[in-house]
Amino acid sequence: MESTAHSDRLAGYSSALMDIARAEGDVDSFVDEFYSAAKTILGTSELRETLTDARIPVVRKQGIVGDLLGPRVNGVVVASINFLIAVGEARSLEEVASRVAQLAAEEEGTVVAEVQSAVALDAGQVARLEAALSKATGKRVQAKVVTDPALIGGLVAKIGDTVFDGSVKSRFADVREQWG
Amino acid sequence: MLSLMTQAFLLFEEATPAAEEETSGVALLLPDKNEAIAGIIAFAIVFFFIWKWAVPALNKTLEARQQAIRSELEAAEASKVEAESLLRDYEDQLSGAKAEANKIVDDARASGEQVKADVVARAETEADQIKERAHGEIVGERERVAGELRRQVADLSIDVAEKVVGSSLDAEGQRELVDRYIDDLGGVH
Repeated sequence: MESTAHSDRLAGYSSALMDIARAEGDVDSFVDEFYSAAKTILGTSELRETLTDARIPVVRKQGIVGDLLGPRVNGVVVASINFLIAVGEARSLEEVASRVAQLAAEEEGTVVAEVQSAVALDAGQVARLEAALSKATGKRVQAKVVTDPALIGGLVAKIGDTVFDGSVKSRFADVREQWG
Repeated sequence: MLSLMTQAFLLFEEATPAAEEETSGVALLLPDKNEAIAGIIAFAIVFFFIWKWAVPALNKTLEARQQAIRSELEAAEASKVEAESLLRDYEDQLSGAKAEANKIVDDARASGEQVKADVVARAETEADQIKERAHGEIVGERERVAGELRRQVADLSIDVAEKVVGSSLDAEGQRELVDRYIDDLGGVH
């Protein structure tokens, strides 16, 4: 039941971060920044390895995060990330980010679509994607977009357990599956 | 013998008167009457003894001898018969033994041939099996290698294709891909 306990703890952290965001005032910008910081900057495998390496002191990890995010990101977001590193949950950063985004979306009566795209999407594309996903799921969808060049082209949208995969990478994976 | 003696006596009776009348001719050959009587009596006594004891004893001896010879003959006959039957038995046994020996030899030859045929058949079967297995292994190996090759070629081709597509997709192409997928999402559902 370790995983359940862990899951409960992550849920607790997520709702605590939402409380902090509400206390700070601008929930939307906090959630956006926290989400993209956790998913894009800290989502790279090298940095994840560094942050989850038990041999590296916490202070040093926090220093790296501060250097990377620095002035570009709200200080509350950096502090939140540093808190999660301090409690030894660096490897759960991405999941906490997803949970926070879902909590924020629930408050607005929407669901989060976690979107990975090979290239950055412009506002019009995000709006049309949200509309299309809303039509597909029957719920109001709010897209959180991060870029991932590994997809080669296209995008992948994940709402809960449902995955809409329009990436070139997955097309190639299908072909590889058929030929292999 | 008795009748012979009686004849001799009668002959003597008839001859006696003639001898007394003249001692000539045949009478010269004839004995005197008293001498003849004494001779006859002595002869009769001797005859009697001989007839009474000697002849029976002789007869008995002869008979015994005859009997002995006969029994010997019979024994010999019996021995011969027995010998013949033994001979026949031996011959029978010999021919039986010969037949049995022949049969054993025939059987041995037949079973030897059977064993030979079995060994040959088994060897052929095993050879076939080995051949078949080897063939199956060769086919399996060929298919495995072909599959591996196909997979490798596919992997390489797809790797190359990924790189080509990745480098040939410009900003416009990327945008078009995203737009088309968004349209698909909105349209299909």
